[in-house]
Amino acid sequence: MNILCAILGSLGNVALVLLVAPFFQGVLRKVTALIQSRQGPPLWQPYFDLLKLLGKEDIESGQTPIMQRFAAYLSLATVLTLACLVPMGFPAPLDGAGDVILVIYLLTLSGICTLLAGLAAGSTYSLVGISREMMTMIALEPLFAVAIVAGAVRTGSFRLDTVLNGSVYAGGGFPCSGVLLLGVMLLSFQAFVQRVPFDISEAETELMEGPLMEYSGPKLALFKYAQMAKLVIYSAIFVGLFVPWDSTLPFPLGWLCFWAKVFGLVLLVTLVAATHARYRIDQAIRFFASLLVVALGALVLATYGY
Amino acid sequence: MSVLSKLKETLICLKAGRVTLPYPAQARPVPEKFRGRPIFDAAKCIGCAGCASNCPAREILVVDVCQEIRILQYLGRRCTYCGRCADVCPEKAITMSHEFETATNSIGDIRQRLDLFMSTCQRCGRCFKEPSPLEQLKLKGYRFDDVQNERWIHRSQAYLTSEPTVDDIKIELD
Amino acid sequence: MIARDRLNQLKAKFGPAILRADLPGDSRLFVFVAPSVLKAICQHIFRDLDARYIISIGLDDRPFSGKFIVAHDFAFDRDHLLCSVLTYLPAENPKVDSISGVVPGANWAEREIRDLVGIEPVGHPYLKRLVLPDGWPDGVHPLRKDVPWNQVPEGFDDEREFKFDDPPEGCTVVPFGPFHPTLDEPAHFRLYVEGEMVRGCEYRGFMVHRGIEKLAESVLTYNDIPMMAERICGICGCVHNVTYAQAVESAVALRAPPRAEYIRTIMLEIERLHSHLLWVGLACHIVGFDTLFMQSWRIREPIMWMAEKISGNRKTYALCVIGGVRWDITPEVKAELRQVLDKLEAEWRTVVAAVSKDKNIQKRTRGVGVADMTLVKNVGLIGPVARAAGADIDCRRDHPYAAYDRVDFDVIAEAGCDVWSRVVVRMKEVFEAIRIIRQCLEKMEDGPLQAPIKDELPVGRLGVSSVEAPRGESHHFVITGENNRPHRWRVRAPTYQNLQAVPMMIKDQQLADMTISLGSIDPCFSCTDRMETIDLKSGVTKVWSQEELIKLVRAR
Repeated sequence: MNILCAILGSLGNVALVLLVAPFFQGVLRKVTALIQSRQGPPLWQPYFDLLKLLGKEDIESGQTPIMQRFAAYLSLATVLTLACLVPMGFPAPLDGAGDVILVIYLLTLSGICTLLAGLAAGSTYSLVGISREMMTMIALEPLFAVAIVAGAVRTGSFRLDTVLNGSVYAGGGFPCSGVLLLGVMLLSFQAFVQRVPFDISEAETELMEGPLMEYSGPKLALFKYAQMAKLVIYSAIFVGLFVPWDSTLPFPLGWLCFWAKVFGLVLLVTLVAATHARYRIDQAIRFFASLLVVALGALVLATYGY
Repeated sequence: MSVLSKLKETLICLKAGRVTLPYPAQARPVPEKFRGRPIFDAAKCIGCAGCASNCPAREILVVDVCQEIRILQYLGRRCTYCGRCADVCPEKAITMSHEFETATNSIGDIRQRLDLFMSTCQRCGRCFKEPSPLEQLKLKGYRFDDVQNERWIHRSQAYLTSEPTVDDIKIELD
Repeated sequence: MIARDRLNQLKAKFGPAILRADLPGDSRLFVFVAPSVLKAICQHIFRDLDARYIISIGLDDRPFSGKFIVAHDFAFDRDHLLCSVLTYLPAENPKVDSISGVVPGANWAEREIRDLVGIEPVGHPYLKRLVLPDGWPDGVHPLRKDVPWNQVPEGFDDEREFKFDDPPEGCTVVPFGPFHPTLDEPAHFRLYVEGEMVRGCEYRGFMVHRGIEKLAESVLTYNDIPMMAERICGICGCVHNVTYAQAVESAVALRAPPRAEYIRTIMLEIERLHSHLLWVGLACHIVGFDTLFMQSWRIREPIMWMAEKISGNRKTYALCVIGGVRWDITPEVKAELRQVLDKLEAEWRTVVAAVSKDKNIQKRTRGVGVADMTLVKNVGLIGPVARAAGADIDCRRDHPYAAYDRVDFDVIAEAGCDVWSRVVVRMKEVFEAIRIIRQCLEKMEDGPLQAPIKDELPVGRLGVSSVEAPRGESHHFVITGENNRPHRWRVRAPTYQNLQAVPMMIKDQQLADMTISLGSIDPCFSCTDRMETIDLKSGVTKVWSQEELIKLVRAR
């Protein structure tokens, strides 16, 4: 019975994320267009885009086509596994299957898929793109790890449902470390979801899409889908860690509140993306390094109970 | 502070509102003086070929089929919509219309051909009175690029030798 | 008489080597010298007299004098004088001393003379093909009078490739272009990159080469050429239109009526407005700031509508004929233009105020793409690039034309030398342009639009004209000819000089800054390339660009 529930729940989660992710992307594009004084695409446009891409001819054009295919499948698979682990308004179906360390690894793995993609393509621009992506990952993943570990330290457990339930504030009130970590994550959130000002590895005007340059058709659809789903997953994790209130409300209300919070976060991402220019890689790395110092300080504070 | 300037920029954006149109669902008319596709009115044309001699792109071709019949053809391929033909036409037979949506995959949609019946003397150009002395700065006489030699111009990759290229007088008019 | 003073100076130094001098007016000087002293005279003018180098021109004068001519144009900006040093070369195996050693800015011009006219610059430091495609056979020089305008030469070699230099130690080659999302027009910059830093680059351009000068000499007539000249560029068409008309008018001592001059000024400034607003948007798009891109283009749109109301088209105004203009500005149009300008100015002021405080954009543009005064002087940079390095040069004030001698305006110069200074210069020039248009609307006199031309234009007269395009100085050189067409017409667009400085600007900078550095000179490759080869499908695609094609697009 339990196994059946888990399987059905996973499928439900996966379906939910797959359904909802393009919608958020559509909201992002529409709000960007509003700020730019233009009509913008309809809200359902990303669905049409994905359908169109899936219907195209599948061309193998990079240096190592097998690796290219593998990277595309792995990317979407990783994100969908995450969808089953992260609570989204109700407890995650695969709750007992792993703890936060698994989540951190899966997030890193989805970044590595981009590296694989760029390597498999093998053209100059994609190699430059993945070197930027590597540098960004090295600077960014520790930030997330620190935030989750701080939560784990405060609650004393690595379990998913406890950590992703406002654990940074555990112990009541607004501890110093929690607020610091909230600030750090807000400032670096754009980089996780790969939006301006930190979408450096896929800078269109500089690198011609970087690692994804040799992708077209269905494989590109998979990557795009993975990117859209990542936006939802990261927002869900962020909301779970830092904005946990109302999660104890009964089923429809709590669920709706959760999605309203995610929607608000997506709007914030959009606003910041529409009003900023892209940074250079060295400026971005310096920025993340200073954030990491602050985050480590917050972690130390968390261990001492502040 | 940077955040303040970003907020100011956002305010500028939101104050402007939406300015784009969902063209072609909602079209925007062009102003009065817009130089669109030239339309030739055969009823008014007197066959002076002033337009042909003033077209910078050499897109208006003239041929005399016989003493009484002159054919004027506007090819429309390299037309730059400059309006010089309309400027110099003494009978105001050419109007620069407001059409700009001229994309088509059949050149026949754009070509205009006028078959004109001329009275006896048609070689001296006396019906063409230059509107200003500036129009004198044009190439004198008939040019070689008339309809007979049209295929020359089409197949411009042909090697040009010193022998005459036109050795048959078959007129291909379409 | 400043022209005469300069001539006397040169005569004092070079004496008998000066064979002939034409002084058509106080602001033009044409000096014919012996070939042996050409280099010495150019060095004297460029270094000792501190003139600015404009362009070098080669032409085939064999139908008239039986010789070739090479001309070097210089500008004495403080004296309001345009000076041309010409020399006759023998028709057999023409050679000339290269001046690229003393005037670095002449590098491209002399390579072009060699490619197109076949005059060999002796002593040139970097003699590679510039303009003609790689497979073009040697010995066929398109601008010579015995080569027909539509000839397809035999011996076109599809397999021949451009020989690039070797990259320096430890650098990979990153090809930039000819297909790149940032570039509107094709160009190839071969970047040598070490990690993220650019260590050098090599440029191979002239892919939008269209044979305009040959067409003008062979097929078109005086009044047809303005229609083609304005199609040289996709943004600054009016400039080429006006400069050509002015060059011919200067050659035959014809002056357009005052109302025509005011209208030309107004249309030129309208073009400057739309070009600068476009560029600010484009620069923001390059650094990833799409919102400001959309907004500045939204603010720019009413100017395009006004241009359409006045001339019938948003961009190709078809404005000039020799001796006047074709369109008039009615009182209703005047009133509407005033309203549009008021609104534009108000909106642009808010944008400038917001952008000046914006640290985010300044971080991407300060200290990037530096071009200092020595580079400006050596390569002959012009326009906002030079003014952003502190050089106080502007053709509207230094070599007045049209109605610019009757209006007041400031020349905006900054001292930063980087991309941010260029942004500031262009943003402020928008206000100056609005000021000029307002003054013109007030001062415009009634009168005819075209000057009467009684006879055919005399043959063999030299004329030059410099006009301040939005990108810099656009310079046309005309020699009048028979059959109502010019004997030689040379177009020097501002990007021609500014592009030569790009390799120096991007050296030791980050790869990410390459596009914004290139974009900051506001490149217009169509303006730069405008030369030979017309109807050749096979000629225009370069060999190595096919390789690029295969790389970027999947092989079927």
